[in-house]
Amino acid sequence: MTREEILNELKKVIAPYTTNKEMLDGINDQTDLIRDLKINSANLVDIIIDAEAKYNIEIDYDSADKMINVGSCVDVIYEKLNQE
Amino acid sequence: MTGTGCDIVALKAINVDRTKQANFYSKIIITAEKSLYDEALSAVVPFEHFVWLAWSVKESVYKFLQRGNPDLVFSPSKINIKKLTVPAPIPSFKVETEGQGFDNNRVYSGFIMYGDQQFYSRSTLNNDLIFSVVNDVDDFTATYWGIKKIDSSEPDVQSAAVRIFILNSLNSLFPGEGLRIEKSPYGYPMVFQNDTELPVIISFAHHDLWVAYSFMLNS
Repeated sequence: MTREEILNELKKVIAPYTTNKEMLDGINDQTDLIRDLKINSANLVDIIIDAEAKYNIEIDYDSADKMINVGSCVDVIYEKLNQE
Repeated sequence: MTGTGCDIVALKAINVDRTKQANFYSKIIITAEKSLYDEALSAVVPFEHFVWLAWSVKESVYKFLQRGNPDLVFSPSKINIKKLTVPAPIPSFKVETEGQGFDNNRVYSGFIMYGDQQFYSRSTLNNDLIFSVVNDVDDFTATYWGIKKIDSSEPDVQSAAVRIFILNSLNSLFPGEGLRIEKSPYGYPMVFQNDTELPVIISFAHHDLWVAYSFMLNS
């Protein structure tokens, strides 16, 4: 998968956890999950688990720690997909 | 350094089945914390409550630390709960509750390590919520806190409600006009009265229909 394809799929993973749908449509690498998309921190683990299931990957502690904005989420998923 | 950090979890908003799945809870608690639960807490605390109690304690530690280390990334696996003391049964909360300090017989008391730094926590848990506050000394007598139920889970409403809630409390200590909260460039909250930053360290949290705060006077 390309980064763009991952980003498009990632929007579907994030969608249930944000009420800021307008911002979701226009997300880019710098979009912060908590500050910009208003996702409650308690849902960050949900996003990681949903991403693991969607892409059939395992996201370890250190990688999960990096997933604070859209760009870092895409990077982690891209890296894990290419390790498979 | 002495400060505060707090977090609240609305239990009606958590997914109980998902929380019990190993691939979920293992992102929040480490093996030693699972053992702590199995050996000392499983008879009195449902596992899903323990997982979110651990989350709230760890996020509170992160908020405490983030004030002095703006680039810190929240990493639950690196904030380790070493000890957790269970209280006597806790009565239900009113919709709005505020206090200074805690009755240690009515709260979960925790001891936490982050690297070589030690932290202490006080948490309350009932059918509705988990609320945690941390400090780097085992003394919460100077910690003010509050919990309140609101009518909407919209982020903008939560954000406004928690600010009004804490400002009302601060106004009794800092009478007069012009009290306001601003976020620092690094994301932590600060209190101003007109153009002067007040010597108060504050933390606030919201989840679903609950908002909460803690603060200490920085003397």
